[in-house]
Formats: sequence, structure tokens, C-alpha cells
Amino acid sequence: MELPVPVVDYLQSNFLEETRPFCLLLDSDYRVVDSWGDNSWCGLTGIEPGSDMRETAPFLVGLPLTAVQRFEFIETVGRAIVHAHLVPDRGSCYVVLLDARLAHAAQQAKQQSVNEHRLLHARQRKFIARQRELISDLIETRSQLEHHRQDAERSSAEKSRFIASMSHEFRTPLASIINYAELAAAADTSANDVQKCVETISRSARHLTSLVEALLDDARLDAGQLELYEHDFDLYKVFDDLAGMMAPLAAEKGLAFATMVDPEVPDVVYADEMRLRQVLINLLGNAVKFTLEGSVEIAATYSAGRLQITVADTGPGISAVDQERVFGAFERGSAREKTGAGLGLTISLRLVKLMNGEVSLESVPGEGCRFCIVIPVAASVAPSALDTDMLAAPGADAMAQKPLSVLICDDDRDMVALIEHYLHRSGYGLITSSDTTEAIEKTLKYKPDLVLMDCNVPGIGGVAAARQLREEGFREPIVALTASNLDAEEQSAFTRFFRKPAPMQELLTEIKHLTHET
Amino acid sequence: MTRLTSKVCVVGDFAVGKTSVVERFVSNHFSAKYLSTVGVKIDTKEIEQSALGVTHKLVVWDVAGSDRFGDKEFAYLRGASGYIFVADGTRALTIESVKTIQSQIGDKYGDAPSVLLLNKRDLTAEWEVNDERFESLQASFNGAFKTSAKTGDEVEDAFKRLAQLIVENELRGK
Repeated sequence: MELPVPVVDYLQSNFLEETRPFCLLLDSDYRVVDSWGDNSWCGLTGIEPGSDMRETAPFLVGLPLTAVQRFEFIETVGRAIVHAHLVPDRGSCYVVLLDARLAHAAQQAKQQSVNEHRLLHARQRKFIARQRELISDLIETRSQLEHHRQDAERSSAEKSRFIASMSHEFRTPLASIINYAELAAAADTSANDVQKCVETISRSARHLTSLVEALLDDARLDAGQLELYEHDFDLYKVFDDLAGMMAPLAAEKGLAFATMVDPEVPDVVYADEMRLRQVLINLLGNAVKFTLEGSVEIAATYSAGRLQITVADTGPGISAVDQERVFGAFERGSAREKTGAGLGLTISLRLVKLMNGEVSLESVPGEGCRFCIVIPVAASVAPSALDTDMLAAPGADAMAQKPLSVLICDDDRDMVALIEHYLHRSGYGLITSSDTTEAIEKTLKYKPDLVLMDCNVPGIGGVAAARQLREEGFREPIVALTASNLDAEEQSAFTRFFRKPAPMQELLTEIKHLTHET
Repeated sequence: MTRLTSKVCVVGDFAVGKTSVVERFVSNHFSAKYLSTVGVKIDTKEIEQSALGVTHKLVVWDVAGSDRFGDKEFAYLRGASGYIFVADGTRALTIESVKTIQSQIGDKYGDAPSVLLLNKRDLTAEWEVNDERFESLQASFNGAFKTSAKTGDEVEDAFKRLAQLIVENELRGK
């Protein structure tokens, strides 16, 4: 059924008015044959018969002219927006362009809205995924925090147990010191009993010192502040000293004690003598302490720059379970007596590791223990005469041989009185001061032969005072005698460093040595 | 110099930056405002390929974004000599759209030179494509580029690479 003519005319008129058709007839080489309609709106100007339309309308490039084709919304190089229709006819092709700006604007607004919505949705999805990741991370972090909290609680509980244990360890010798001091001070105590009291007090004080030293060593190892002092020393003398120290203790318990040193072991080695002694004393001390019958042996071999020292005993041994725990801080094997700070083996292991060495333990319960340490040490030449002299045991010649003066800077009256007593008895003239500012003034004024300096005293402190004295031109020895823990750089401010409580005989020997050197 | 004119179609999902890379390539300009393309935009640019002795005019069809093509889109691609596939490196899903379109075009029109542009490389904090995946994508196209229409990074390189592939294809008489 056909539409009435007036309606057709009306629609045709409207369509032509809205779309402003422009029509081209192209031959098979895209050349213009003819054209109809208004071309002013579509940017296709200067169209001449015979011209290649692909130059003017590049969208025709590549398009075949042999099939009906329809393209919606082409934005041309001239920025017109067209619907393009290609209608082939007997070897030629009509190209019809319709103005599509109005439809394009409506479509663009609609599509823009849809796309922005989809973009927003994509971003939301991404955000949600990121949130999930963050929540997952948060859960993981909370889990880790919970682990850390539990670790901290365990550590705190261990520390509390340790403090309780240490409190007991400290109270025992302290009680002994207090009680025996009171006994010694009592009016009716005989001279003989006073002597015994003093010996007991001295023994308890030394035990306290060893506890403090062990704790400090452990703390320094924890903080990575323990440094090795390596030098050439006579290894055989170390073994002799250890035998001299341990053999009587073993003999008291009816134990055999043997030292076996392979001839390959060098006389002199380069290592930290003090720390090596500390490790071996600990191992041998434990062996003697826990062995009830049989023997304790120390054996040394040397090969390829590695010194191997074995300490073996015939004691109760250590079970496999306890062997795992025996090196742990604050742990002691269950078969062992519950005395001491429990740090000895831990410190020994850590010291050997610090020396780049290894410690191993072989033990069968009931058949004794065999600790083996292996450390890299370099064989060296004999120590110099000076070193030998430094190692010489102090004796009666610790007495000063000519009048010399020492300035003591310490705010502890008891300590000053004690040192004063010994130095005065050794023939030294004394100058005392309880703060560093005054000590500097007196030193520069009286020019003593040596300054003995505590570090934690009023004023600028012992380290700064020593440095200032050097800057002021004081060239005599400055010896630190302090309970403070100085690092290597701070120690370098002094000629020598002694930690309280220092053995008095050793201190006097060093003072004499230094004052006579100068 | 031989003169050559080729139709190149730029395709990919919506809002991956197709219009922006074309504008960067043709006019060396960038606008941050997102304006959705309806239908297709035509642009041209002439490049010299001295090594091949060709003055190459590229007629670039910037096709409206879609994750899957229908008849209307396929009509736009008729007679294309090569394709620029564009994905958004901050939306890894748009790579899947590119793969779908690539497969559809292959089925409809057969093989033609193509390169992949992973666009928006300037948005490093939001980048979702790791190196391993990028390498595997390089193997799936004749070349893959991490581009930024904003900074211009690698945009021209990508178009030139496609142009070179088209010329080589023409010279082989394909």
C-alpha cells in the first residue's frame, strides 16, 4: 500500500531539509563524474569532474565501489558529521552524504553518559578490590602483631623469671657480705674470726662481680657492642694457667685432671686471650663442678690455621633434649645443679661465634660430656719483651720506688679512701677531687704524674675531662677506673681502662708501670 | 619516492585513549577531557619512510570503543591495511577486549599487520600489567608499546612501526 502523495511529499521535504543530501557519481577509479546538491556543509569543496575523490574525502580510501555500503556517523577531516551511503550502478557508484550532526549530538550525549557510568563502575570495582587487598593486609598485619605481642609477653615472662632468678643469685652473696660484715664489726668477735669473715666477704664479693660481668657480657653481646681485643700471646701459658687453676679444684673432689697439647699447636697465637680464657674457664669450671668421679681433660690440636680445644669430663652427661637447650640464655640442663646465672654456656657460645669459631657438644647421659671449640687463630712470633713484662704477675715490687703524685677524681668517698690507702702505702703523693672541673684545674696546676679518673662524676664527665686535659697539653697517663661501660672510642680518651671493681694489685702494678715509663 | 596511501583502523574498548593517541600522533596535542566517540573519526597524516623510499599517507579511522564488534563496526574496517589495537594499562580487562576484537577481525577479514598500544603508562601507580604479561602480549601482535597519549611516549613509534609493516606487506605483494 502506497502512502498518499501529499504525505510522501511532506516527508520527502522534511528529510531533505534535515539531511541536506549531497550526491556524487564516481567512476571505478574514484573520479568525479557528476554531483548534485549542497556541498557547503560537508567540507567537500572544489569538486571538479575528473578529480580523485579519495584526496578530498579520504574515508573512501580502501572502500570498494562495487557493493552497497552504509556508514553511520563519519566525522570527516573537515569535521562534518555524515551518514555515508555507497550505491553502485553499472560500473559507477553514487556516494550520498547526509548531514548527521543532530543525530550525532543526541547519540554522543547518550553514549557519553553510558561510558562514564561504566568507567565509574570499573573504578568502583577496582576500589573494592583494593579495599579487599587492604583488609587482607590488615588482617595479616593484625595476625603478625598478635604474634609479636605473644612473643613480647613470652619475652617479658622470661625476663621476669630471669630477674627473679638473678635476684636470688644476688641476694645470697649479698646476705653473706652483710651478715659477715656485721659479725666482723661486733665487739666480741676474735681476730681469727674477723679474718675468716673478711675472707668470706671477699669471696662473696668476687662471686657478685662475676655475676655482674656475665650479665654485662650478655647485654653487650645482645647490643653487638662486645669487641674482641686480639693480640699475640703465649698459648701454652694459658694452658698452664688453666691447669694451675683447675687441677687443685679437681683434686679436691678426687678427680684426675689432664692437659694434652699437640706439638703442632703454636707457642704464640694472635687472638683475644682474655675471651679465650673466659670460654675455657667456663667449660672447665662446669666440667669440674658437675663431675663427681673420674676425670676432666683439656686437649688442644692445631691444623690449617684452626685451633681445636676439647674439654671432656666423666660427669652425668646431658640428655639429647637438654643438649638442644643447654646453650640457650637462662637455660640450664636439668641434670645440673641450679646455681650460677645460667649464662656461662650462652656467653661462651656467643664469644666463640664472635671469634668466627664453632662450639659442639657430644654427650651420652651417664657417660660425661665433650665440648669442642674450633676457632681460627693465626700462629705468631714470640711476644715482645714489653708484652711479657705487662703480663708479669704483680708482687711486692708494686711499691713505687720514688715519690710520685697521682690525682684521683672520684665522687665515691669510700673508693677514694681505699685507693688513697693503697697508693699512699705505695709511696705516692695524692691529690683528690670529686668533680671533673676541679680535677682539670688541679691537674693543670699541680701536674701529677698520673690521673686516675672515674667517668660518672659531677661536671663534664670523665671522658670529656680526659679529652680536655689532652687539649690543654697534659701529657701524663690518664687511667679510667669506672663502673661505666665505655665504647672503644670513649676508651681511646684514656691511657688505660679499668672497670670497677678492679683487682687492686693489678691496678697498682699498672700505675707503677705507667708512672715509671714516664 | 613512491607514494602510498593506507587505511589504518584504531580499535579497542571504550575510554582506553584511542582518540587521544590519534590526536597525539596527528596533531601532537592532548586533552585530558574524556569525550566519547560516536561512529568514527577520520584523520590523515603523511610520514616519510626514507629507508623504504615511500611517502606514506595514513588515513586513520578512529573507531568508537567497544569490547565486541557487530556489523556496524565491521563496515568501518572494510579495506583496512592495518590495525592499531589500544588497551588501557590501568584496566587490564581492556586487554581481553582487544583479544576478542583481534580474533573477530581475523575471522572476518583475515590477517593484517597490527600493533598493540598499552596506553596510559604515565599512570604508574595504577598500572596493572606486569612485565611478564607485556612480553606475552608482544608475541601476540607484530609489536607492543607502552604508550602515553598524555606525554607522547612511544605513540609515534607505534604508528611508524605499523606503517613500516604495511609497506613491507605491500612490497611482498600481499
